[in-house]
Amino acid sequence: MNKATISEIRKQFDKTLEEVHDAAALEALKYRYLGRKGKIADLFSRIRDLSSESRKEAGELLNRLKADLSAAIDARTAAFSAPREQRSYIDYSMPGYAMHRGSRHPLTQAVDDMLNIFQRLGFDIAYGPEVETDWFNFESLNFPPDHPARDMQDTFYTEGGGVLRTHTSPVQTRYMSTHEPPLRIVAPGRVFRNEAISARSYCLFHQIEGLYVDEGITFADLKGTIERFCRLYYGKDVKIKFRGSYFPFTEPSAEIDVSCFLCGGKGCPVCKQSGWLEIMGCGMVDPNVLKAVNYDTERFSGYAFGLGIERMLMMRLGINDIRILFENDVEFLKQF
Amino acid sequence: MIVSIDWLKDYIDIDIPLEELAEKLTVAGAECTLKQSGIRIPDGVLVAKVLDTRPHPNAEKLSVCKVDTGTGEILNIVCGAPNVIAGRLVPVATVGTKLAPDFELKEVRLRGELSQGMICAEDELGLGNDHSGIMLLPDDYEIGRPFADYYPVYPILDVEVTANRPDLMSHWGLVRMISVITGKPFKKVPFCLEEKEKDIREICKISVEAPEGCPRYSARVVKNVRIQPSPAWLRQRLESVGLRPVNNVVDAANYVLMETGHPLHTFDLDKLAGPEIRVRFAVKGEKFETLDHKERTLSEKVLLICDAKNPVALAGLMGGLASEVDDNTRNILIESAYFTPSVIRRASKDQQLSTDASKRFERGTDPNAGLEYARDRLAALIAELTGGEIAKGVIDVYPEPIPAKRARLNLSKVKSITGIELSGTNCRATLEALGFEILNAGDNFLDVGIPTFRPDVEREIDLVEEVAVNHMDKIPTMERMSISIPESFDTFHPFTDKTRQFFTGYGMHEAINNSLVSEAAASAGIWGYPPLKILNPLSLEMNMLRTDMIQPLLGSLRVNALRKRGDIRLFELANVIERDPASETGAREHYNLGVLCSSSLWGLSWTEAERSADFFYMKGILEHFMDLLGFTVKLRENTQNAAFETLYDIMLRKEVIGKIGQYRGDFFEKLQLQHPLVIMELQLGTLYQWYEPRKQHTPPPAYPSIFRDLSLVMDKTVRANTLINEIMQQGGKYLIDCLLYDMYIDEKKLGEDKKALSFRLEFRSEKETLKDSQIDNVMNKLFKQLENQYGARLR
Ligand SMILES: [Zn+2]
Repeated sequence: MNKATISEIRKQFDKTLEEVHDAAALEALKYRYLGRKGKIADLFSRIRDLSSESRKEAGELLNRLKADLSAAIDARTAAFSAPREQRSYIDYSMPGYAMHRGSRHPLTQAVDDMLNIFQRLGFDIAYGPEVETDWFNFESLNFPPDHPARDMQDTFYTEGGGVLRTHTSPVQTRYMSTHEPPLRIVAPGRVFRNEAISARSYCLFHQIEGLYVDEGITFADLKGTIERFCRLYYGKDVKIKFRGSYFPFTEPSAEIDVSCFLCGGKGCPVCKQSGWLEIMGCGMVDPNVLKAVNYDTERFSGYAFGLGIERMLMMRLGINDIRILFENDVEFLKQF
Repeated sequence: MIVSIDWLKDYIDIDIPLEELAEKLTVAGAECTLKQSGIRIPDGVLVAKVLDTRPHPNAEKLSVCKVDTGTGEILNIVCGAPNVIAGRLVPVATVGTKLAPDFELKEVRLRGELSQGMICAEDELGLGNDHSGIMLLPDDYEIGRPFADYYPVYPILDVEVTANRPDLMSHWGLVRMISVITGKPFKKVPFCLEEKEKDIREICKISVEAPEGCPRYSARVVKNVRIQPSPAWLRQRLESVGLRPVNNVVDAANYVLMETGHPLHTFDLDKLAGPEIRVRFAVKGEKFETLDHKERTLSEKVLLICDAKNPVALAGLMGGLASEVDDNTRNILIESAYFTPSVIRRASKDQQLSTDASKRFERGTDPNAGLEYARDRLAALIAELTGGEIAKGVIDVYPEPIPAKRARLNLSKVKSITGIELSGTNCRATLEALGFEILNAGDNFLDVGIPTFRPDVEREIDLVEEVAVNHMDKIPTMERMSISIPESFDTFHPFTDKTRQFFTGYGMHEAINNSLVSEAAASAGIWGYPPLKILNPLSLEMNMLRTDMIQPLLGSLRVNALRKRGDIRLFELANVIERDPASETGAREHYNLGVLCSSSLWGLSWTEAERSADFFYMKGILEHFMDLLGFTVKLRENTQNAAFETLYDIMLRKEVIGKIGQYRGDFFEKLQLQHPLVIMELQLGTLYQWYEPRKQHTPPPAYPSIFRDLSLVMDKTVRANTLINEIMQQGGKYLIDCLLYDMYIDEKKLGEDKKALSFRLEFRSEKETLKDSQIDNVMNKLFKQLENQYGARLR
């Protein structure tokens, strides 16, 4: 034992003391150094091993160290036990600075949440115009002229021969006409329907379209992807039902229902007591669509799906009137 | 489309629970809900006989009745109705009957008299609105029998039929699907067609002048009919599927329609001039009065059924008043025709008239067996119901018969599209149950004859779908995915995401506005784009597409201001549309960002005095946003727009990529805004194209900076921007920044037309720690320069 040992111990102590932020830790530190079996006591016990001339000096050094450590600990103890108000005259119960907080629109958030999942499943994002040609919006998607399927979507026609796209599906043929398979995309965006505005329907809403074209794609792949998406988005216990349907651009076509996320499938007013919610349409890309973009229909097959955002969001947030999503009342927007 | 379960059972045995049936039909593509038609009379309501009635001793308007409900016990019932008569049969709700979910009938004493039930009025049983008295029943009702026996309810299926399946708009269509589900056979109802009258060709004449609109026109005649109300069974069937009974002829036609899905029309033969039928297109401007009492002006798109003189019906849409079957009709002509779907659709659009018949014809009806069966079945049914006699033979104008299509289904295709492993036998059974004909079955293919009632099926893939939707539950779920990795990923969404994050970080709320605006809003757009018109707008408020972000945001401002929201900070990312006749869509889209703010800088707080956000707030945001993207923009004053207090074009690479400004205070006076209204719009799509993520970093400075403050007094007309540029140019090589941090105006101290500006200059070297002496000279020189050039003096 010499000066170096003692100053090393002192250094260690100081460092540890700095990291002590509460009374309990301080007590532990005190016990470790000044306790009956603490480090100081241990050093004292080793004095008798020293030569007699060293003993005196070591005893003095140790006594000084013990006094210093006690003083440092006492000072800290006092600091911890003083009532808070006495430590400063600032009232920390005053509210914080009142900066304004911004918010993303709940629709964008929902779209982004879904895009996130699809991107992780290997889909890239694609876009298309909102003013479309009749060819992309209908004909390339196997809506023959003068076919009642066109009545499924009430259309706005624009001057110059365009239409406001009634779905995000034209992004399918737009993308395919400039890309070769394999391709795997999701396309978010605004779509328009010429329907009277009411609490349940608005002339504008948002969709996400999905498309995967490659060799050997089957309905089983579609089912696998959609089921995974639903489990990731609606929770892993969600039940999923595919049922046959009709869209001109897919064959076979199906609607997808998920078990109601509000009642868990028991039945409630939102799911009209059925326990199921209709969330999207899907199917295998019709060969006529692949032909429209000059793909080899013997070699390639694919699936497509489309889901609407507003209805799902309204159910989720308990919104009864769709118009609240488009009037931008800040008292609504700031909740998200 | 409503079908009755009872009716379906005429054609197929149904032995599975109806809930299960509805569920399985839904999964196979006929979305349906199981419902009840008719009125459900509560259990416990019995047919009873009033034996005796006497006035209530303690109440003037009540009477006390003895009633026999057939149980042996005679009930004592107090009744308030004026029409209760001893000897009549009445419905009695006995004790324990639940007349409503929360109302169970109990034995009570009414003013001292025991009442062991209730004699019911019509409204109390949900049978009507009549509450003037109790129901008096016909004498042939059976005492003690549940009253509900006289009001049977029928289970029905409410089916959502998709646009491609005309065949499902009938009981037969559903029966074929049920046959796949249950494996039971489809049995058509046999009928007997007895031709008693002379040959139809001696009675009337038919010619088709427009075979392109009417490939087949077929008719039968029934003579000597007696028009009467239909029998109960027929009325009940029609009512159960939501149709109103009219008379035995009209009802018979509707019955066959609901059975087969084939629309039929009946004419009063004696009201047809000739009697003759001619099928032709209308002449433009021709007039015709339809059954709905509307005088219509026709165009050449409309196909007409005419007699020798006049039009008598709009083909496939609606009949006319003049040839309608009425109570005095004696002879009937039955029309069973096939009209070209697109012709009917165009006529329906032209006349803005969509009827049950037009919906069926435009989806495509069966031109062959279905048409013939419906025609003969209706003739037989009318003869049976009216006592009429069927003329011999048919007139059938069908110059070019429509052949049944055929297609080959390779079994490997079923697997490669659906992933289902299905045997040939299985596919065959499904297709046959659906009415397809197997012409030839190979080891790995089926040659399939497609019935003409399925116009939606023509290719192999359509057959795959027929098989697939009827085996939905057998489609496996691929649990592992192998995916192809694309060469590059989209970078636009991350860019918009960054933008959204930035503006929400500055306390802005993201808005979403309608793209459809009024003409006024479209022409007020700050870019001056020619607006694109909607040809069929919902209203004049929404007849154009937005040409900027600001006009719709001003709409949101109005919504908020009228609701007295004090702090309004909004941003939106969306397309604005410019009319562009050169583009294939007639439009050019610009992806823009709009920002609108009328708000305090921060919430009411003890830490800061209240302050409004103003032009300089928006300018600060613009500077930070450009800093984030790595752009340096210039502002160019724009004095064109009278609505603005101040407006600047935001310039980048010599192009206007945005606008920033503050509206005049009086411009939105009515909204009583609490803060100045400032806006900004940026062409985000352009910025995205020019944007490059920072490639290299700049090392943080190795040596400390020296700061010098410079407070100068000068004429108010000297612009801050000019001075800053001057200082930066003249400040020597070590000057790296000049920050204007104070402005001071005091006419007494500084003099009229003077202002004081304070700048903080930052000097730094990359090679050494600067000494004050190195800067002093520069500062002196700089001050002299400013003194000479701008008359500045030290403050
Ligand atoms: Zn529910």
